[in-house]
Amino acid sequence: MAQIEYKNITKDYDVDDRVLDNVSFKVEKGEFVFLVGPSGAGKTTLIKLLIREELPTEGEIWFEGLGAVEDAEAVESIASDVETVSSLVNIFDLPHDRLPELRRRIGVVFQDFKVLNSKNVFENVAVALEVAGATLNEIKNIVPNVLGLVGLSDKAEHFPKQLSGGEIQRLSIARALAHEPEILVADEPTGMIDRKATDDVLQVLERINSLGTTIIMATHDYKIVDKMKKRVLRLEKGKLTSDKKEGKYDE
Amino acid sequence: MMNSTLIKHLDSLKTLYSREKFLVLSNIAVMTVTFVILGFFFGTAVGMQTAIKSLEEQAQVTLFFEDKYPESEILALKSRFEADERILNVRYISKEQAFQIFTDINKDEPILLEAVSKDILPASLEIRAQRLSDLSSLATEFESLEGVEEVKFFRDVIERFRYWANVIYIVGGGLVLIFLGLSFAIVMSTLRVTIDSKGDEIEIMKLVGATDDYVKGPLLFQGLFFGLVSATIASVVLLIFFTSIKFLGLFGATSTVFILPGVRVLSWIFLIILVVLLLIFGGLLGYLGSQTAIKKYLKY
Repeated sequence: MAQIEYKNITKDYDVDDRVLDNVSFKVEKGEFVFLVGPSGAGKTTLIKLLIREELPTEGEIWFEGLGAVEDAEAVESIASDVETVSSLVNIFDLPHDRLPELRRRIGVVFQDFKVLNSKNVFENVAVALEVAGATLNEIKNIVPNVLGLVGLSDKAEHFPKQLSGGEIQRLSIARALAHEPEILVADEPTGMIDRKATDDVLQVLERINSLGTTIIMATHDYKIVDKMKKRVLRLEKGKLTSDKKEGKYDE
Repeated sequence: MMNSTLIKHLDSLKTLYSREKFLVLSNIAVMTVTFVILGFFFGTAVGMQTAIKSLEEQAQVTLFFEDKYPESEILALKSRFEADERILNVRYISKEQAFQIFTDINKDEPILLEAVSKDILPASLEIRAQRLSDLSSLATEFESLEGVEEVKFFRDVIERFRYWANVIYIVGGGLVLIFLGLSFAIVMSTLRVTIDSKGDEIEIMKLVGATDDYVKGPLLFQGLFFGLVSATIASVVLLIFFTSIKFLGLFGATSTVFILPGVRVLSWIFLIILVVLLLIFGGLLGYLGSQTAIKKYLKY
């Protein structure tokens, strides 16, 4: 069953500024998918739409396992190959008060990090757990583990302004992983870190992917894409130009 | 559950204070000044009404009786007047008392005192009305009474009192309402500065799955806390101010309340009411101010 389905997504930021043009694809549960393409191709917008930070001009994104939306019409045009119709929801039909439910199931490593500057490293990671309803004890146990995973154990008391660009990026990854989301979406997660740190991050991503977490990663780094041999979706000028099973960056 | 939420909110306030001391203190300072001005204004409005009430009460009609009119008849009239709903109180001044008053007033004028004997001064009834507006018609009624030699009634003064009393009720009430609105705007803008400084954080928290209540909770608590602390400080300042005025004899023993003519309480009760009102108003203003200021960040 498709865990996520983008259906005919079009996004115009302005009358003559179309960033996504009729994009459709599905992502299966447990898949590892690279989103590649030049800057401005629409990768980040695709990610923003998935957590409903943006709304599309046209199209739908169906998400598995959120439970039915009150409005029965919302499930009317579901893809025919879907087995459990009632567990699929078009995220743009979700009422405002159910957005947290969607977002807690997706861990996002934002391109601009979006770390909380007034909170220290520990607190930044704890926020993701707190909003998911974790107890204080759970937070005290989980946060050190996750910080250890991204190599920030000794920086727990530091504030973002005291961290390097790479460390902030790792903090952003730690926060996205902390509540063990079903889907991890990473927008250029290795853009500011060195090769060694990149390998470490990829190892972490591969490990959690092997445990069943779906990974969607937007990247410019052709070396990673070519080395990992995962599914590659290529976007150019807002259009999906290729979708390869074990693809390479330039295919 | 309630306790842990409270502890969490207090913790986040402590953290906010340790990291952004200036912002917290300036918030409280601005809100305190606003509440002091509001309380001062309210207190002054009440004080002015007390003064007017007191002047109103001093306004009276005096009936002077003919020399030969028997005292028993005057006292019968007094009883009749006391039963009249329009009349607040009646005071009988006998010839002896009138002479005593005259002597007291003119004790430094021996020549004048020698020229006046107690038989010259008439007995009188001093009558105060429940409502200022009834004085005029009462005065007219009294003029036709048997034995009444003269009715003394300062018509112009009473009319002017009435006019100014109305002006102060209306203008004072309006100004208090306007200042309440202004206070809300000031408090909301002040809290908005703190919330705006956290705007990015609120958006981020929403993007990682925080509910509106999770985001709002600490900020509403913060607004409530700032409001209560500021109102408490303002209350202390006002208590000191109004108590000093009272000791200086500028504040009457009683006060009218809420611009309601006729409702009177002791001034210390007024001060307690003022403090309770300020605390309720401060807390409410802080809470609602935060809620309004945070609204724009909840659309994510």
